[in-house]
Order: sequence, then C-alpha cells, then structure tokens
Amino acid sequence: MSDFEPRIVGFLCNWCSYAGADLAGVSRFQYPTNIRSIRVMCSTRVSPHLLLEVFKAGADGVMVGGCHIGDCHYITGNYYTEKRIMLTKELLRLAGIEPDRLRLEWISASEGERCANVVADFVKKVRELGPSPIPRDSRLALRLDAATEAAKVFRLRLLSGKEIKLTGEGNAYGEKVDPERFGNILRNAAQEEFQRNLILELTKCSALSVKEMAKETGEATDATLERVVALRSKNLLALSVVEGMTPKYKAIIVGGV
Amino acid sequence: MSATEAKHEIGSAGEEWDPKIIVFCCNWCSYAGADLAGVSRLQMPTDFRVIRTMCSARVDPEFVLRAFAKGADGVLVAGCHPADCHYIGGNYRTRRRIAMLRMLLEQYGFDPDRLKLEWISASEGEKFQKTIREFTEKIREIGPNPITED
Amino acid sequence: MMSKVGAVMVIGGGISGVQTSLDLADSGFKVYLVEKRASIGGTMAQLDKTFPTNDCSMCIMAPKLVAAGRHHNIELITNADVEEINGVPGDFRVTLKRRTLRVDENKCTGCGVCAEKCPVETVDEYNQGMKKRKAIFVMYPQAVPLVFSIDKEACIGCGVCYEECRAKAVVYEKPDEALEISVGAVILSPGFDEFDARLKKEYGYGHYKNVVTSIEFERMLSATGPYFGAVLRPSDGEIPKKVAFIQCVGSRDEQVGNTYCSSVCCMYAIKEAIIAGEHTAGLKPTIFFMDVRAVGKEFENYRERAEKEYGVIIRRGTRVASVEEDTATKNLLVRYSENGGIATEEFDMVVLSVGMRPSEDAEKLSRRLDFRLNKHGFCETDVFSPLCTSRPGIFVSGSFASPKDIPTTVAEASGAAAKAAALIADVRNTQVTVKEYPAEIDVTGQEPRVGVFVCHCGINIGGVVKVPSVVEYAKTLPGVVYAEENLYTCSSDTQEKIKAMIKEHNLNRVVVASCTPRTHEPLFQNTIREAGLNTYLFEMANIRDQCSWIHMHEPEKASKKARDLVRMAVAKARLLEPLKKSSIPVNHSTIVIGGGLAGMTAALEVSAQGFPVHIIEKTGQLGGSLARLYHKEGTREPREYMNELIAKVRDAKNITVHLDSEVKDVTGFVGNFKVKTSGDEIESGVIIVATGATDYKPSEHSYGKDKRVITQLELEQKLEDKSLRAKKIAMIQCVGSRNEQVPYCSRICCVTAMKNAIAVKRQNHATEVYVFHKDIRTYGFREELYKEACELGVKFIRFPEEDMPRVGGNGDQLEVIAHDTVLGEDVLVKPDILVLSVGIRPNEGNEELAKMLKVPLSKDKYFLEAHMKLRPVDFATEGIFLAGSAHWPKFIDEVIAQASGAATRAMTIISKDELETEGIIAAVNEDICDGCGICEPTCEYKAIQVVKVSENPERLKVAVNEGLCKGCGACVAACPSGAMEQKGFKSSQVIAMIDSALEGGDS
Repeated sequence: MSDFEPRIVGFLCNWCSYAGADLAGVSRFQYPTNIRSIRVMCSTRVSPHLLLEVFKAGADGVMVGGCHIGDCHYITGNYYTEKRIMLTKELLRLAGIEPDRLRLEWISASEGERCANVVADFVKKVRELGPSPIPRDSRLALRLDAATEAAKVFRLRLLSGKEIKLTGEGNAYGEKVDPERFGNILRNAAQEEFQRNLILELTKCSALSVKEMAKETGEATDATLERVVALRSKNLLALSVVEGMTPKYKAIIVGGV
Repeated sequence: MSATEAKHEIGSAGEEWDPKIIVFCCNWCSYAGADLAGVSRLQMPTDFRVIRTMCSARVDPEFVLRAFAKGADGVLVAGCHPADCHYIGGNYRTRRRIAMLRMLLEQYGFDPDRLKLEWISASEGEKFQKTIREFTEKIREIGPNPITED
Repeated sequence: MMSKVGAVMVIGGGISGVQTSLDLADSGFKVYLVEKRASIGGTMAQLDKTFPTNDCSMCIMAPKLVAAGRHHNIELITNADVEEINGVPGDFRVTLKRRTLRVDENKCTGCGVCAEKCPVETVDEYNQGMKKRKAIFVMYPQAVPLVFSIDKEACIGCGVCYEECRAKAVVYEKPDEALEISVGAVILSPGFDEFDARLKKEYGYGHYKNVVTSIEFERMLSATGPYFGAVLRPSDGEIPKKVAFIQCVGSRDEQVGNTYCSSVCCMYAIKEAIIAGEHTAGLKPTIFFMDVRAVGKEFENYRERAEKEYGVIIRRGTRVASVEEDTATKNLLVRYSENGGIATEEFDMVVLSVGMRPSEDAEKLSRRLDFRLNKHGFCETDVFSPLCTSRPGIFVSGSFASPKDIPTTVAEASGAAAKAAALIADVRNTQVTVKEYPAEIDVTGQEPRVGVFVCHCGINIGGVVKVPSVVEYAKTLPGVVYAEENLYTCSSDTQEKIKAMIKEHNLNRVVVASCTPRTHEPLFQNTIREAGLNTYLFEMANIRDQCSWIHMHEPEKASKKARDLVRMAVAKARLLEPLKKSSIPVNHSTIVIGGGLAGMTAALEVSAQGFPVHIIEKTGQLGGSLARLYHKEGTREPREYMNELIAKVRDAKNITVHLDSEVKDVTGFVGNFKVKTSGDEIESGVIIVATGATDYKPSEHSYGKDKRVITQLELEQKLEDKSLRAKKIAMIQCVGSRNEQVPYCSRICCVTAMKNAIAVKRQNHATEVYVFHKDIRTYGFREELYKEACELGVKFIRFPEEDMPRVGGNGDQLEVIAHDTVLGEDVLVKPDILVLSVGIRPNEGNEELAKMLKVPLSKDKYFLEAHMKLRPVDFATEGIFLAGSAHWPKFIDEVIAQASGAATRAMTIISKDELETEGIIAAVNEDICDGCGICEPTCEYKAIQVVKVSENPERLKVAVNEGLCKGCGACVAACPSGAMEQKGFKSSQVIAMIDSALEGGDS
C-alpha cells in the first residue's frame, strides 16, 4: 500500500481552526498534501449525515476542526460538535467502517504548528488504515447509506441535539438526566435507527424475509423481526409477498400510493 | 402485491384520465374501517369519494344507477360482514340487491365489475386500503364510463 | 337522618364497569367510572375476536366505550386509584388519587403529533411487549378518552411534545390530584390479571422465543397488532406450520397454587385456533386439553365446527409434562401423556393458555375498602348473593369475583347495577343533570344559509391539504354565506366562535370539514343546538381520516379531494331539514313471565326500585325448579331460599302474582305492552321472559323400566330422605346431551354429579362411586368439587366422544361397560344403582311464546338474545328481556345475577316517563304508499306494519312505529314507489351528494 495516498476532507471553522491552518502556512510549517479543507463558520455546522455523505463520496478520512472547548466564537457551538461527532462515529461503527477515519480536533487560531502536526498525524493514521473500503464494497456502501439515512431521522437528531441541555441544565421537569442513562438511550436509538434503515435499504429493490434480512444485517432473527414490526407500524415497510411459510417485506417508496 | 403505481390512460379527448369512484360506506363497520385506515396512515389512491349511510341496506339501486348515469366509472358498496350488521340483517339485503344490480348492469352493456360489494369491518383498515387499491386498479383497467364518452 | 346520594362509583373500566355505568346512567343515576389506566376498555379491548360468534372484539365494544365517554351522566376518572372509603351504604365518601397525565385533557384533541415526534421508544404493554410505543402515548388508536398521557418513567423531558402541540395541552408539572367523591353505592369491577407463565418453568416461557401466551397470541391475531394479523414465530418471523395450544396453564394446578378452573381458556383456545387457521392457510393447530369445557350457549357447537370445518385437532384427556426447544430450529418438543402412555410431538410454535388470577389490586382494594377476599384471592361472594361483597353497599361484578366469560360478565354487570340502584332508588334523578338549551329557531321557509368551518387539526390536515384554498372554494358554493378556517375546530374556544358566527351571519346549516363524524358529530351537533339550531341541521366532511391521512404524499390531489368532499357536504346540507325526536309514553309496570328463581329475582329487583310488577306463573305455585333441589349451596338450602323469596314476593306491595295463568296473546311495543292471559289483561312497559327449562326424561338405559336406574334429581331425593341402599353406584354423564339429536352441553350436570357423588360418600364412605364421563366440566371455583370427589375416592372413567357406555346385564345385576381412554381398555362395572345425568331441555312452550312476543329462538330452541356477547339479557325486540334457564341452563348464582341484570335493563326503560325516539327514522308518505308491504319484512325491529286506512278500509298503507324504528334505511331502499323515506338520509339528499361528487368542475 505504499503508493496509497489518502484523500482527506477537512471541515475547518472560520474563527479558530481555519485561522490556525492559515497560520501554519504563514509560518511555513510543512505537512502532507492529502487534505482538502472546507471552511465553515462554526464546526457545529457540520451535521452527521453530511459527514457520512463525504465518506460515501470516497473520502478515506474526514477531519473536523473547531475551537477549544470554552473558546467557541459562537459560545456553545463546539459542545454540540463534540456530541455530533460522537454520534457520527457510532454510526460509522455500526456501519462497519473504522470510526478512526473521522477525527475531531480542537485547533486554535494560534496553533499553526499544531495544525500541521495534527494533519500529518491523521494522514499517517489513515494511511495505516488503508484506502476507504466503500468504493469497492457495495455491501458496505449500502450500510453507509443506512447510517446516513439514520443520521437524518428526527429522533436521533433531536436526542443528539438535546443531550447537552438535558444532562447539563435540566429537562422539562427541572431534573438533570443522568448522562449514562442518556448515553444508553442515544446509543440504543442509533442502533435501532441504523438497523431499521439498513432493512429499508436492503428491501428497496427486492422483497426479503426476516431470515434473509438477518443474514445481511448480522443481527439475530428475533431482533430483526422486532425491527420489521417497528418499520411496519410506521408505514415504512410493507408485506410484499408470502412464499410458502415465509413472508417477505419491501420498503415503501415515499410518493407512491 | 406491490404498491399500485398510477397508470394514466389516455381518454378519447387525449387527456390523462383519473377514474371517478363512488364508495358507499355504512356508519358502523366500513366507514369505521375507512377511518381506521386513516388513523393507521395507510396510503391509497385519491380517486374515490365516500358517501356515508347508516346501513349498507340504505343503498338504493337508484343511487348506484344514478352514479353511473352521472359519470361514475366505478361504484363500491361496503358493509358489515354477514351476521355482524348493526341492524342485524341489513347486509343480507344489500348482498341480494347488489347481485341483482350487477346482472342489470350487464344487461345494459355495462361491465358488472364496475360495481363491487365488499364486507369491511371496523377493525379492517388494511382491508379498506387493499380494496380501494385493487378496485381503483380494476377500474383503470376497465376504462372510463362509456356514458361520458357519448 | 342520613341523606342518600343518587350517584354510584364504578371501579374498573373494562366491559363490566362500562356496562354497569351505562345501565345506571340510563336509569337516572350519576356514575363516576374510575379506571386505573389512562383509558377504559380493559382486557376485552386487547382481544381480536370473541367466541362463539367470532365478532371483532373492538367493533362490538367501541360503541359502548364511546357511549360511556360521552354520556352526560357518566364522569370518567382515568389514571386513578381508590385510596379510602368512609361512610355507610347510601352515603359513602370515597377518596381517589388521580395520577397526573401531564396533559390537559380539556385541551388535548388526540391529534397524535406529540407521539410522532417523541424520541423515546419504550415497551407497549397493550401489545404485550411485542411492539414499542412512545413516552407520550395513548393506549391504542380508538382509546376512550382519546387523550395522550406521559409515562414519566420513560420520558426524558426533552420538551418536544410541548413544542409540537398546537393546542398547548402538555403540562409537565401538572400535579397528581386528590379527589373526594360522595356516592350512594360502589361497584367493584377491576377485572383479572393473567397467570404469569414464567412460573411454569417446564414450559419454557420467557426462554424459548416461540413459546407465547394466549394474550400475546391474541395481539398477533389482531389486525391492529404487531404482525398486522399474521401468525409469525417470534424467533425468526416465519409462519409456523404446526402450532400447539397447552391448556390449564396456571389453572387446576396445585403446584402453582391455583386449584380453580379459569372457565374461559378452553373456549378461547378453540377460538384462537380457528382464527389462526383463518389467517394462515393450511394451519390446523393442535390443542392439548385435560377436559374441554365448552359449557355455554352454542359453545359445544363452536367446538364441533372447529374440528369439522376448520380441522382444529382437539386432544382431550392429555397432560403436557414439558416443552423443550431445539436450539437450531427453535422448534419446540411437547412431551405429554395420553391414553396411559407418554408421547412427544414437535411444533413450530406453542401457545400457553394462561389462566385468570385475581387482579393485582385485589388485596390492596380489599384492605382499603374493607371487604373480604375468598381463599383464591378473588372477591368473596355468596351463591345466593353473587353480586354482593362482604361489605354492604359495595357490590361486585365480573372476573374480579370469579373467572368467567364476557356474556356472563355483562349480565352480572347489569345485575350489580340493580343492586346499587335498589339501595338508592328513592334518590333517583337527583344527581343527574338535564341539559338546558335555548328555544329552537324555526328555520322553515328560510333559504339555506350554510356556514363552513374547515379544520387544520394542527398539522394533521393543514400539513397536506391546502386549507385556505378549501375555505375560499367553500365561499363560492351555492348556499354558503360564511366560511372560515380553524386550527382545531373541536377545541372549546372554537365552539364559542361557531356559535357566534351562527348568530352573526344567521346561519341555518353548518358544515364542519375535519375528522370523522363517528367521534365528533355529537360534539358539533351539541354546539349548534346551544346556538338554537336543530341538531340535524349539521353535516361533516371527513378530510382527515379519509383524506389527508391517506393521501399524505399527494397534497394537490388531497386538496382537490377535500374541496370535493366539502362540496358534497354542502350539497346535502342545503337539503337538510330540522328533525324532531318524538317521545312515546312509558307504562311503568313490568310483566315477568315465569315465577321461578329467575322470575322472582327479577320481580323483586324491580319492585325494590319502586316499580310495580306482575308475575305470570302457569302452575299453581311459585318456585319453579328450585322446589326440586336439596343440596346445600354454601350455607343454605335452595328450598329454604325459595321459601324466603316467595315470602318476599307475597309481602311486596307492588308485586301481583297471577298463578295458573298462561300467556295467550301479546300486543304492543316497548313502553306499551298488553298481555292477555287465561284470566287477565295486563298492561306494562316491559316484559321479562323467565320461563325456565325442563330436564330431559330419558328413555335410554332402561330408565322407566328398571327401578335401579334413576336420574340425579331422584338420587338427590333419596339422599335427602336417606333411602339410598347401594354398595356400588355408577353415574353416566351426558345422557341426552352432546349427541346427534341434542348436540349442546347442558352445563350443570357434571357439577351436579360431583355434588351427589360427594354426598353419597359423605353418607357412607364405603359406597363405591364410578363416574363415566366424556369431560368433567366443573368450571370456575366448582373445580373444587371435582378435586374433593377425587380425594374421597370417587372413580372416574373417561369414555370416547362417540362411544357411550353400554348398559346391560341380566335381571339380577346391572352391568355398565365402557372404553376407558386412559387405560386403553374396556371397563366393566356392576352397580346397584345407575344414575343418569340427564340434560336440560328448553320448554316446549318456547316456540309459541316466542311467536307471540315476536322474538327468535336459537337453533337449540332456547330464546335467542340480541347479541350473544354484549347483550345477553336483551332481545332485539326492544322492551323484552330474558333471564334464567329460558336463556340457557345455568346455576343458581348465575340465574340470580342474570335475572338482576334483566331487571336493570328493564329499569332503563321504565324509570323514564317517556322514551325518546331516534331522529333519523323512516317516514312514509301516505299519499304515495299503496300498502304493498314489501318493506314490512325488511325491518328487523318489527317497526313497520301494514294497516288499513281508517277513512277507506279498502285501502292499505304502512305505518312506521317511531318508537321502534332504529333508522337503518333498509325499508327505504326496498320501497318500489318511493313512498318510504329516511329522515336525514333522504334519497334526494343522498342523490345530491352523488351528483355533487361527480360534478366536473373546477374545484
């Protein structure tokens, strides 16, 4: 793999990390050419599904740079970034893609050298991980699609977005939700939405039975049946045909009758 | 049993044709079943209009014939399952009446399949959806009401 | 001097509590219906179908739930527990704690957006954990009341429901409420809980995925359940090829501490097996029974159909030892004993028919309300007062007292209402409110001025249908003088707006385009009435359940459809006419036909409430079959009780007894019956049929020829006068029942046999007793008798269904030979006395009486009630009721409960001075009608009669009895001349809708 050049996409926040990168340039700190940076006003702009789409497009690694905690130009933006990246990594993990391909770094405007070092280190790590398996593995690409759809689901976005308030300030009852409990809820929700969307992706084109789905998703058949129950009750999945003793289901394409 | 895709037929005027279907629902069973389909968010074609009566036995042959005379492409009469009629025996009468009407339609050169009778209970939201989808597709196959073309 | 309160508290909102509440509310009492969950419905709301009619459970139950929710004399207090009770019968004060819903039920419209957005998914108890629900939820979509509530345990307080609720109904900090309510009586109907199948470890429930309980299976079979009605294996979602039902899980089982029989599991297993076969082509489930307890009306027939028509495999006399799982396939190996041997069979799925155990609240309630539980943990009752608890003023009904099926429960529920009503009869109508309305505006001669109100329903409609375009379109329609849009047309502030607009624009017809008339029509009708308009000048267009919700992804077409539906509603509205409900006067008397246990009980209950009764008895004395029973029931003898009843009847000032009287002719209708007997002519408002039944006079087995062959009743007589001389007694069950000619089970014979066997043993333990049987059907707590008989050494021989014992022998010695299915060989017994358990037969006079009353008979020739599940004491013909063995053979406590129920049902009519008729009834145009009479037989309610025209007796016409017409319209469609019309659904109105629907037009 010595001739593998990782393709890294970077999202750098305007006020800190992008400035830090500029400073690296001004100071002539050298680092590998593999990164292509996109400037955003705040690192929190970068939503999980956007990051997953970048992986779908073929990036071998994605780096998100923001201000140090407490220094965000928009006060609290990067707190949310942290939570969002955690969710995105969880989704990557569920999809079967190394979470380390996504990296979150706090780089201040004065940390030019650090910026260069961080990038160099990330490129090295990604080189070790190897090229992104997505372009050659259609199964994995499908799982990534499922993760991307899951990232768009209102439930996950809400839970992820409200985590800080509910565990930090307090919820509608004035109580602080135990962070561990919340973490479990979010992780379960991520797994549920991922698995559900994976089933939808798998059944977009052909009807599948619970056993067939389970083979693809890797979950036990009884857990898969629970997913099917949930999807049917939300009118996302429909019974398509019964072959012998086996019902087969297909995703309902929105827009059709 | 895949989702019906809207098939548009070109009528004689060269325009796209959507069928006009009248559905008679009885208050206690089939109308409730239609409501349940709604509560369950079961999607279906838009081409039908429901008229509610208290019992399917209220559906006078005159109503059915009037509907066809005024251009309906299909008429669906939905009542309670036999023995479940809220008014005890109304739906038995409906069954006989519709059977007679279908024969009559045939004699007049109408495809009797334009008139359908279905038993749908208050808990059968899915059956309502299935019936509407299948009937709409059937009417699309049969084509527009010949009266309107004359 | 204590003052009585004219209100009743009903604790438990299942089918029992709902029936009791409706009966009391319809008889002039205020009812507080207290339910521990957030909505009423209980277990029956979880069922798919009910036996033996295979009716859809929710379909038959929902109208009662809605009626209870809407009734202005019933106050629903949901999410509440009873804490304390003080006071005396007639004047109680009950303290309740109402757990907060965290939702303002006055604002919540049940639109459901909150639940859609809630991010937390948790276990759905209604679906037995097989589905998920949200932290803010309603138990099921048709729940009454349709108010969402927050499960605080699951809720994380994210605030989304509050943000999304357009009605601002979410109130997180809403506190629990303490309520103190004054009532005159309390009725307990908190129901039962199911046996925890995990306690039968040998069946693997909780470990083996494909072992499910019957209630889980019920949810599977339901179209609204997790699998949408499909039978699937929880382990892998495949359709099972072989399903086994295991009976008596948690019942008749000393090991788990429940020695009683749960009464319903045999039947519900047969039902589930039938329905499973209907949902799954080719599936023929196997049911492993000990005994098949199909004792109720037409239950045996149901069992037979299950076997013959549906191919359900019924194995009786089996005991399942264990269930083991094949870890690879997740199939199950059932190990069982049958015919003396052990066998195993493999199945894809196993359903455990779990028994009923006492409600989990039983102990708590018994402590707080100070009444006793029996040794099984159910509410203690007495055979002769099955509806009373140990505390006066507190009554009981349903499975809280003992395991029972729905028809028995519903009859009991009405019975309990009678008990409560008797206590507070003198304060009837003191707590009920009569709504005051302004005078009705006379709109005759006015041009229609239609007002249209189009609802957004939050985003439910407005998110798909372009509501403003519908409003604008409505304004262009002929007849429409005003149209507006509302966020929630059903909210209380919008009701005020509607009334204001009616006044401001002189509207004389109102159209609301929103959700379904089935839930909301009465609300809006009430609103326009408050504004002075006749309630029938109202029409609805369903643009939500039947438009925006089913065409969510086609907003253009959905909007056009909404406009079309509004146009159709306006077309009908223009032709609507004010309708009057007329009243028919009610005679407050009751006629009871039959002076036995049922007749006297019903008469005394009616009399206790202050209304006059006539008992018509064809023999020379009261008492009926009670006179022939000797056994003590509980602590009393039936004949002693009978004498007590007779004395009470004689003492009652408002009961008139007509002995040696037979009914010769019946004319009239509800509220106004006239009955001619051999000696009298009596007028009444209602009639109760309590004519009883007879026992079969056998001709089998040399009965009548051989003195040693007697019936159980004759045995009872011998035991009574101690004239029994026998060393060995044999009993044969099912003589004259469960055969070709008489296929039904007579219900009481097994218990009678057990009682007599025990009595024989008690008189002389050395006497040998052999019982030859198909099944032993000692259901409910009567199972104890079977147990006791076994312990006393009574021997049981189970013979095959088709192979009755043969009785023979020479002149000296009787011989009984039968094939013992447990031993697998023939058995010979030489008894001194042979006792035949003969079946019960309907009275021969039933047919004639039925014709006179114009009521139907069932196929077994017993009287046929209006609905086997939910109207067990009513006839379809209004004003006539049924109780006792005339309905079906039953025990003393069952007769008393049912007869009390019949009395209550009668009270709902005779407690009123007038009966209001339906508004949307048939009306005949006498100018056109030529009396052809085609309409007459179409009326199920016998409301139509062909009569002579008084001015011209040559001519005939048809008269519609407004009191009886129920407004179905069948006669209208049958009428060839157009003379018959249905008010509110006139042909011209319907045709206007048809024409409007098919109008081309630019909508």
